Amino acid sequence: MTSPETRIRSLDDPSLFVDTPATIYDAIPPYPPRTEREAEFYTLREGEMLINIGPQHPSTHGVLRVVLKIDGERIVDLDPVLGYLHRGVEKICENSDWHMVISHCDPLEYIASMFSEYVPVLAAEKLLDVTVPRRAEYIRVLACELNRISSHALFMGWLALDLGGITPILYGFLERDEIVEMLAALTGQRLLFNYMRIGGVNGDLNHEFMSRLGDWMSHALRHIEDSMALINSNEIFVGRTRGLGRIDRQTALRMCLSGPPLRATGIPYDVRRAHPYSVYPELEFEIPTREEGDSYARYLLHLDEIKQSIHIIDQVLHRIPDGPIMAKLPRLLRPRPGRAWAAIESPRGQYGVYAMSDGTDQPFRLRIHDPSFFNLQSVGLLSPGHLIADIMAIMASLDPIMGGVDK
Amino acid sequence: MAEVAEVLRIVHDDPGLRFELLADLCGVDTGAAMEVVYHLWSAGSRDWLRVVATGLSREDPRAPSVTFLWRGAEWAEREAYDMFGIVFEGNRDLRRIYMPPDYRSFPLRKDFLLPDDASRSPGEGVRPMEAAPEPAVLTGTPADLRHAREATP
Repeated sequence: MTSPETRIRSLDDPSLFVDTPATIYDAIPPYPPRTEREAEFYTLREGEMLINIGPQHPSTHGVLRVVLKIDGERIVDLDPVLGYLHRGVEKICENSDWHMVISHCDPLEYIASMFSEYVPVLAAEKLLDVTVPRRAEYIRVLACELNRISSHALFMGWLALDLGGITPILYGFLERDEIVEMLAALTGQRLLFNYMRIGGVNGDLNHEFMSRLGDWMSHALRHIEDSMALINSNEIFVGRTRGLGRIDRQTALRMCLSGPPLRATGIPYDVRRAHPYSVYPELEFEIPTREEGDSYARYLLHLDEIKQSIHIIDQVLHRIPDGPIMAKLPRLLRPRPGRAWAAIESPRGQYGVYAMSDGTDQPFRLRIHDPSFFNLQSVGLLSPGHLIADIMAIMASLDPIMGGVDK
Repeated sequence: MAEVAEVLRIVHDDPGLRFELLADLCGVDTGAAMEVVYHLWSAGSRDWLRVVATGLSREDPRAPSVTFLWRGAEWAEREAYDMFGIVFEGNRDLRRIYMPPDYRSFPLRKDFLLPDDASRSPGEGVRPMEAAPEPAVLTGTPADLRHAREATP
C-alpha cells in the first residue's frame, strides 16, 4: 500500500517545481542583498525577470554564470558570477618554489599557455638579474607568436560559432592543429607546454619542428585569409556584429580594457611596444588599431594581428643566432628580496605578474593579472539594451578564458 | 589612507603625467601590515608607475576605492577584498568574487595556512589533518583570526 506522500508525481504537476528546494543555480540568491549594487540588481520592476546563463553553457567559454535581468527579449542589466573555476593559484604559488610556479601558472590561459608561463619567468628573471641568452629570447618570441596565431585562429572560429555558423571553427581548428602539432614537436605537449624556464627555454629547436614550421609558413597567410573570407563579408555575420557592443576610447580606459578590445577603440597600447621585453625592440611590426570599437572591429583586428605575427616569425627565422638556450643558474633559486612587475602582451591583452620575494626559494606574493578578468568585466557595460542572443557575440568578441578569469 | 585616492587622481589628471591606464590593482599582506599596490601606465612617459598604499592595519584594513577614476577597478577591488579582507570605501559592489558568499575567511592572508602545508617547513613532515587550526581557516572575522603560524607546532 502506497501512502500519498510517496506517490510518483507526473512531471506536468506544477507543484513539483514549487517544492524543489533552492539551489545555487537559482537566479535570486537565498540571502539578503550584501551591497548597494546587489540590492538594486535584484529589485525587479514591472515586466522584468531574471534568468540564468550558465555555469555550464557552451557560449560562456568555460564555467561562467551570468544572471540576466531582462524585459521581454531585451537585456536590462546583468551580473556575472565568477569563481566556479577558482583554484587559488596565487596561494599555491606562494607555497611552491620558483620552478614549480611555471607549471602552476601554465593552465591559467589554457588556449595560449605559452604566455601565462612566460610572465612569472620574466618576473623571476628580473628579481634574479639574469641575462637570458639571445637564442633563447628568439625561441621564446617564436613560440609565443605561434601560440598567438593559434589562439586568434580559434577566436575567430568561436565568434562565428557563437553566432550560429558551424564551418569557421573547423577552419580555425585546422590552423590551430597544425601549430599545436608543431609546438608539440618543440615542447612535447600539445596544450600546456611547460616550455619556459627561468633563464631560458627547455629545449632547442629540432628538425621536426622546423620542417613543420617551414611547411606551414609556406601557406599560412593564404589559408587564413581564404578561410576567414568565409565570414569576413558574410552578410549575417557582419549584420550581427557591426555596431554591437560599441565602446569608445575614454570608456575603454576607464574599464581597464587591454588587448584587442582596447586597440579596437584606437588606442595603440601593446606591451610589445609600450614597454618592450625580450627581443621585440629589434623586430619590425606594426600595432594594428581600429576606430569603431565594436565586435566587428575586434574581429578584424585579430586578423590583422595574425598577419603581423606571421611577419614577426619570418624575421625571427632569419635572425635567430646560435648559442646556448639556458643561462647558467643554480638549481635552487633564491632571488634577492624585492619586488618586480613584469608584463607581456598575450593574445587577450596585458598579462602581468607582480612578484615579491623575501629571499627564500618561494615567492612571498605572486599576483597574477589576467587580461580576461578585466575584459570580461565590461560585458556588464556593453550588453544592456541588446538582445539575449547578442550577449554571446559581445562576450565572444571580448574573448575571455575562464581559466584565467577565475585563477 | 584617503591620500592614495588623491595621489592617483593627480597622476591621472595632471596633463604632464597622464597615467590613464590602470595596469593592475592588487592587495598584499606583508605579515605586519596590508598594502594595496597600483600599477599605472602613461602614454607620455611610456613607463610603468607603481603606487603602494602601505601600512593598512591587519585588523581592519581600509582603503579608498578608485572606481571613480577607473570603473574597471571594481572587480580588482572585489578580488582584493575577497582574498585579503581589505575594505574599499566607495566601491558600490564590494562582495566576494571567487569564494562562496557564506565564506568567512580571507585565503591569501599570511595567517591563512593550508592544512596540508608541509612545504613551508621542509623536513618536519606533514602535519596531521586534525591538528590543522580549523577555526582559523574556516571561520572568524579578520579581527579574531588568530595567528595560525604561531599556533602550529
